Amino acid sequence: MSETITLADAKAVIENQIEELARRNREPEWMTKIRYRALEAFERAPHNDPVISEEQLLHFIAKPEVEGIPEHIESLEDLPAELKALLDRLGIEEVEQKYVAGLAVQTDTGVIYNQFLQEWAKKGLTVLPTEEAVRRYPDLVKEHFLRLFRVDESKLTAYHTAVWNGGIFLHVKEGLKVPFPLHLFFLIQESALAQAPHIIIIAEPNTEFHLIEGCTAPILVRHSLHLDMTEAYFGENAKGQLTVLQNWPEYVHTRPMTRAKIGKNARFINTTVGLGTGKSNTANPKYWVDENGYVELNGILLGQKDWYVDLGGEMYLQGKGAAGINASKAVIMDESTVITRGIITAEAPKTKGHISCDALLLSDKSRMETYPGLVSRVDDAELSHEAAIGKIREEELFYLMSRGLSEEKATQLIVKGFLEPMLKDIPMEFLVEIRKIIELAVSGGM
Amino acid sequence: MLKVENLHVSVDDKEILRGVDLSVGQGEFHVVMGPNGSGKSTLALTLAGHPRYKVTKGTLLFDGESILNLGPDERARKGILLAFQVPPEVEGVKIIEFLQQVLVELKGIDPAEAYDAIVKKAGELWFKEDDLHRYVNVGFSGGERKRLELLQALLIEPKLLILDEPDSGVDVDSLSIISRKIEELNRAGTAVLLITHYGRILEHLDPGTFRVHVMKDGRIVMERGGEFVNEIEERGFQAIFEECGCDE
Repeated sequence: MSETITLADAKAVIENQIEELARRNREPEWMTKIRYRALEAFERAPHNDPVISEEQLLHFIAKPEVEGIPEHIESLEDLPAELKALLDRLGIEEVEQKYVAGLAVQTDTGVIYNQFLQEWAKKGLTVLPTEEAVRRYPDLVKEHFLRLFRVDESKLTAYHTAVWNGGIFLHVKEGLKVPFPLHLFFLIQESALAQAPHIIIIAEPNTEFHLIEGCTAPILVRHSLHLDMTEAYFGENAKGQLTVLQNWPEYVHTRPMTRAKIGKNARFINTTVGLGTGKSNTANPKYWVDENGYVELNGILLGQKDWYVDLGGEMYLQGKGAAGINASKAVIMDESTVITRGIITAEAPKTKGHISCDALLLSDKSRMETYPGLVSRVDDAELSHEAAIGKIREEELFYLMSRGLSEEKATQLIVKGFLEPMLKDIPMEFLVEIRKIIELAVSGGM
Repeated sequence: MLKVENLHVSVDDKEILRGVDLSVGQGEFHVVMGPNGSGKSTLALTLAGHPRYKVTKGTLLFDGESILNLGPDERARKGILLAFQVPPEVEGVKIIEFLQQVLVELKGIDPAEAYDAIVKKAGELWFKEDDLHRYVNVGFSGGERKRLELLQALLIEPKLLILDEPDSGVDVDSLSIISRKIEELNRAGTAVLLITHYGRILEHLDPGTFRVHVMKDGRIVMERGGEFVNEIEERGFQAIFEECGCDE
């Protein structure tokens, strides 16, 4: 970093961004006020990131934003050629053909393309870019925007709130069961630009949905920071799945922030597949679970090179009979570090919680740490944890090799098999891609 | 085809094979018997190239070439297949995907063709198509594990099939199908080196068609015709060793 950037410099840049976003998004005043409050909070909020220093953060912020995306895009054909080529490479069209499903692509500067079936809208499925939802459903957004976070929790929450842009507003009306997965892709194109989509999920009682976020970025981006925030609200008996596929290039720092309130008898399965977690990825999703509600956090983590991955997860079992599972499987190679630290707090009778962590270490310099946390405030909760950290067993490797598979192929098979039980519920075309990425990673790490 | 001469093998610096000599010609059937700890499994694992079994002395030739420096995968490609005594569980790896990959790699056939071949042969060893979507050996009974080893042998059609106690921990019905399939492979030209404790798996083989080698303390001390199995069954190793003066 050649120049020193002060907090005041960063604030000035953020202020400009707020002005710009307010104007470009034709934003109602109440939202712009929230941004300004966040700007004030940014100054006093603590910064406690394990990897990004405050100086680095200010630097990320102060780099100017560059626009390059056409204003109105109705279909894939309206996209700039290079973006279209990128989507082709990601197989998005393939995905779209397979499912007659919703698709939204988020770039640095906003949601540029989305297409959802009109009949599903009529049935009560609303999927909009969040900034559009702000204009069209102000009351609903006010009720659910930044209700699960405090703006001044950290500089990152404050910064996100000040400059959030894009993201998806998903509203499933009472009783509607969406039979196909909804896809959302993030792409980072501009360097040193914090991308901060805000995702709101409102699943009314007796609904079902599956939202898949695929994250990737073009090759030429350097030192970006990705700061998405997801707030999910599950009504009584709602069943939802959020699957996040991360395949960031190695220089993107990612700080996904996810929180959910899970109502009575509701069920939330949150799977994060971190194949390319970026230079560093730290996340500490939080879930509050009501009576007989259920939450599952499944983390699939691939640590490569010198990446730093830290997956937490706090579950508060607040209603009688609520249950939570925090399960992770990590494959760690090269010199990367993976840390898992789930905490389950039982606050109501007959609640159940389980934390499990399995890790496969593929090199001597890779590092795994796990810190399961179980807190019980009642006397009849069932809380447990298990952890297993190990290397590939020689007998398994020998067995596969004695059938003619090379060490590399045999290792790939074992690694894929290790992760396999966690990949249930992921659509086939993603699985193919995921397996390919794992194979490449294993080969590269050998 | 296989020529073992004065083979010495150590595991973790402890010598287990102390000068094994053995020859197996193309399509031949050889049985290795011997008390526990005599080195039978060590011989099997050494032939297959297990990295923990270090050859300290002797030669190991296959089709006239030394295979001492070849890894287990390269030996498999030359036509050696070991059916394990206790095949390990491979969590998360489906039998069908594993076998398809093996056939694609070893035989160069395409996955669809491999799939059909696998399903067909699986039926002959009482596996249903559903079973093939289970993980390799995970939660398998002894009989199922051994049948899966045989299924791999049927599909791979090796030049030399080494069977390490295919009859241990197996129910009577599985034993009979396993023994028939071994014969079938042998008739089709696969040389067999079968390690066993008991004669039962050899019951319906013509004693004139195979040779029996008896191992003791890391060496093959006797070689006889097939009918010798009955004598071992009746009298036990101890009596036989005393008589032949093999007790040193």
